[in-house]
Amino acid sequence: MPVKVLVTSVIQKVVDNQRAFTSEGRTIGELISNIDSRYPGFREQLADEQGVLHRFVNIYLNDEDIRYLKGADTELTDGDEVSILPALAGGA
Amino acid sequence: MPRIPSSVIEAMVSHAHQDLPNEACGMVHARDGVAFEAIRVKNDAASPFRYEMNPLQMLKLDRRREDEGESLFAIYHSHVASEAYPSPTDVRMAFWPPGEIDNEPMFPETYYVLVSLKYDPPAVRAFHIRMGGVIEEEPIEVVD
Repeated sequence: MPVKVLVTSVIQKVVDNQRAFTSEGRTIGELISNIDSRYPGFREQLADEQGVLHRFVNIYLNDEDIRYLKGADTELTDGDEVSILPALAGGA
Repeated sequence: MPRIPSSVIEAMVSHAHQDLPNEACGMVHARDGVAFEAIRVKNDAASPFRYEMNPLQMLKLDRRREDEGESLFAIYHSHVASEAYPSPTDVRMAFWPPGEIDNEPMFPETYYVLVSLKYDPPAVRAFHIRMGGVIEEEPIEVVD
């Protein structure tokens, strides 16, 4: 399933400074594995050693937060757009 | 030195007031390096002590910058009762993964602007957060 991937901020560094590129996978989890094969170190930007996504990483499938879909098991179809954004947060 | 139009400063201060009692947050966009607009982003944390920018709005602003040739000049947020100075949480969250201060910061070229409502008139100050968690103030020049 070819999908368009968009990444922001520092995550662009591990994908050769690209903002957008094409990859594939049947699910979000598989997509992350495939991107990690091509760009080693990609997965550790998003998840811990057990594969659990960081609390502060946001992944959107066509503008829907995957936390409200099926998380890493969310299925992908041709032409989907997956966006990966580190949170922007702070506090007093 | 960050040159910021008075209209942008006023927009950030006005946003900070309107979102009381919670912290307000947003982005300042630039065109050809010149700051021209403060854009409000929803604080999903809805807290007087924390902010977390709504990711979908962040995504839409990222697309806008790409489409319109704009850049991210500053990330701003308010402190409702503390100084206009990055807190330890602000510094930790300027790195990815959070707290990895020996990495390059997430937005090395972008100013972090703090609006403090502790004072009247409010204090507005700009900073760079550097590798190692070093905070460097960048005095704002207000322009028309």
